[in-house]
Amino acid sequence: MTETYAVELQDVVKQFGDVVAVNHVSLQIRDGEFFSLLGPSGCGKTTTLRMIAGFEMPTSGALYIHGERQGYRPPNKRPINTVFQNYALFPHMTVAENIAFGMEMQKTPKDEVKRRVAEALAMVRLSNMANRKPKQLSGGQQQRIALARALVNRPKVLLLDEPLGALDLKLRKAMQIELKALQEEVGITFVYVTHDQEEALTMSDRIAVMSNGIVHQVGDPETIYEHPADRFVADFIGETNFIPVKVISISPEIVVALGTGEKVTAGWVEEGIAVGDQAVLSIRPEKMDLLEPGEVPATPAENVAYVKGNVTHLVYVGTDTRHTVALGDGTKVVVRLQNIYIGEEPWEIGEEAVVTWNAAHARVLKE
Amino acid sequence: MERLRRHPELQAWLILAIPVIFLLIFFMAPLLIVFVYSFLERGKYGGVEWVFTLDNIRRVFDPLYFKTFLRSFYIAIVTTLITLGLGYPLAYFIAKSPPSRRNALVFALMIPFWTNFLIRTYAWVMLLRTHTGLINVTLMNWGIISKPLPLYGNDFAIILGLVYGWLPVMVLPIYAALERLDESLLEAARDLYASSGKAFWRVTWPLSIPGVVAGSMLVFIPSLGAFVTPAILGGGKSLMIGNIISNQFLGAHDWPFGSALSMVMMIAMLIATLIYFRWTKKSELAT
Repeated sequence: MTETYAVELQDVVKQFGDVVAVNHVSLQIRDGEFFSLLGPSGCGKTTTLRMIAGFEMPTSGALYIHGERQGYRPPNKRPINTVFQNYALFPHMTVAENIAFGMEMQKTPKDEVKRRVAEALAMVRLSNMANRKPKQLSGGQQQRIALARALVNRPKVLLLDEPLGALDLKLRKAMQIELKALQEEVGITFVYVTHDQEEALTMSDRIAVMSNGIVHQVGDPETIYEHPADRFVADFIGETNFIPVKVISISPEIVVALGTGEKVTAGWVEEGIAVGDQAVLSIRPEKMDLLEPGEVPATPAENVAYVKGNVTHLVYVGTDTRHTVALGDGTKVVVRLQNIYIGEEPWEIGEEAVVTWNAAHARVLKE
Repeated sequence: MERLRRHPELQAWLILAIPVIFLLIFFMAPLLIVFVYSFLERGKYGGVEWVFTLDNIRRVFDPLYFKTFLRSFYIAIVTTLITLGLGYPLAYFIAKSPPSRRNALVFALMIPFWTNFLIRTYAWVMLLRTHTGLINVTLMNWGIISKPLPLYGNDFAIILGLVYGWLPVMVLPIYAALERLDESLLEAARDLYASSGKAFWRVTWPLSIPGVVAGSMLVFIPSLGAFVTPAILGGGKSLMIGNIISNQFLGAHDWPFGSALSMVMMIAMLIATLIYFRWTKKSELAT
C-alpha cells in the first residue's frame, strides 16, 4: 500500500499570465512532520503554500490533502489553517473573538468555543489579553495570537508563511524554539515557508529548497547541508567554496583537475556530468584546514588533497577566523578555522600555506 | 522673531489664527444672525423689526410646514439609502479593480461634476417631462405604454435627481475605506472556514463602516437641505424644506420665519446625525 501523505503535490504548475511561478513541483509531506519550503524571494514557495491553502488554484497538476484530491475546493472547505506573514488579525475584533472566529464559522457549540479559546490562550500564554484588540499587542504577542487562532481549529495541516519575519532577531530565535516545541506537542503537520536558511535548518524535519519555481532538493537539514544536490543548494545554504575544475574521471574514482593542474579526488559527482566537462568542486570552509608547507606528510594520506597557496585575507568572526587563501592559479578559497588553539601562532597575510581537505567533503557540481 | 523661533507652539497658533478668524467671521457670525433673527418680527419690506417673539418657531410646527419637514426627511433618507445601495457595490468594484485601473475609474466617477449642476438637472427635465420627455415619448412611440408615466413633478423625480447628484459623494469615502482594507484579512476569514458571503459581512462590511457613515452624512445633509433639485424636478408642486426657506427670503420677504425654519432644520439635522453615529457605533461593536 502506498503511504498517504499529509500534503502531496503531483507535478503542480502555477502560471500568472506568462510568468511561471511554480514549475512542475512534486512534493510529499508526511503526516506530523515539520516541513519547510526554503528559497529566496520569488522562488515560488509562497505560491506553493497558497495553492495548498486554496487561495490560488494550480494551472495544472494535482494536490492532495490526506489523500483527498482538492481540485477547486475553496479555502473554507479545506482541513487546513494558515498563519499569515502579517498575522492578518481582524482589527475590529478582540483577541478572543479572533480566536473564536473559525469555530464560530463551523458552528461549534458556544460553551465549547469558550473553553477552547481559553485553552488556546493558555497555550500561547496570553490568557490575560483575551479582551484586548490586536493593535494593543506587541508584534510577538500578535504572532502568538495568529498561531492560536489557527491551531484552535485543530487543522490537519498548519501552513505558516514567514511567520517570524517581522520580529527582531532575539524574539525570532526564541519563537523558533517555541514553535518547534509546540509542533511536537500538538503533532500537527507544519508547512513552513521561509527565506531564512538558519531558521529552516533549526526547526525542520525536512526542507525543500526552491528557486525559480522548481524544487532543487528535498531532505533533512543535515542532508541538505552536508550533501547539497546542486550548486544552488550548496550556495544558498551556508557558505561554500566553488573551485573551478575539469573532470578527469568519474569511475572507479572521481578525479578532477584544478586550475593549477593538480589532480584531486572527490566524494560525489552530480548526475549529468561527464568526463572532460568543466565543473565546480564544492567544499564547505569549515571542512578545510591549513598546514605549513613543512607539515605536509611525505606520503600523503589517501583521499586527502593538499593544494599550495598564499593567505591573502583574515577576518576574525569570534568563534572562528576566516582565512582567504589564493591558490596557485589565483582561485580564492575560504578556510574557516575555529579559534580554539591557545598560544598557537596565527596565520599571517602573505604567508605560504597548504590547503587540505578530505575528498569525502568535496562534491563535483555543475557550473 | 527670536521669540517666535523659541516658541513653536506660538507659531502653530499664528498659523491656526487665520482659518479660525475666517470661520469666526464668515461662518459663526451668519449663524448667530440667523439665530437672533428667528426670534424677531418681520419688517414690512424684508429685514426685521427688533421685537422679540416666539411666533416664528411656533409657526414652523404648523402642520402646513411641518408636513414638508417630515417629507424632506423622508426624501433625504430614501435618497441616502438608494445611493448607499448603488454606491457600495460601485465602490467595491472600483476598490477590487487592478490598481492601474482604479484611478481611471475614480476619475470617470468625477466627470459629471465638470458640467454645471443646474444644467445637468435640466437635462433630467428633458428626459422625464410628462408629455414631451424623451422617456415617455419613446415608450409611447414604441407602443409599450399608452399614457405617460408619472416621472416628473413628484417625489420620484426629486429622489432620482438627488441620487444622481450625490452618488459620487457616497462612493468616494466607501471606496477609500475598502481600498485600505488588507486583502489578507479576507483570506484569513476564508481560511477560517467563512464562506465568501460570511467573510464579507464579518470582515469587509464592519471595516468599511467609517466610509459608509461618512458617505451617508455627505449625502443626507445636502439632500435634506436641497432646493435646486426639488425646485426644478418637483415641477413647482413637490417641494422640500429648502424651497420654503429660500422662498421666505427671496419671495415672501419673511426673514425671521426663514431663519426659524433654518434653525429648526439645523437642530433636527444635528440630532439625526448624532442618532446615526450612535447607531453605527453600536452595530460596529456588535459585529
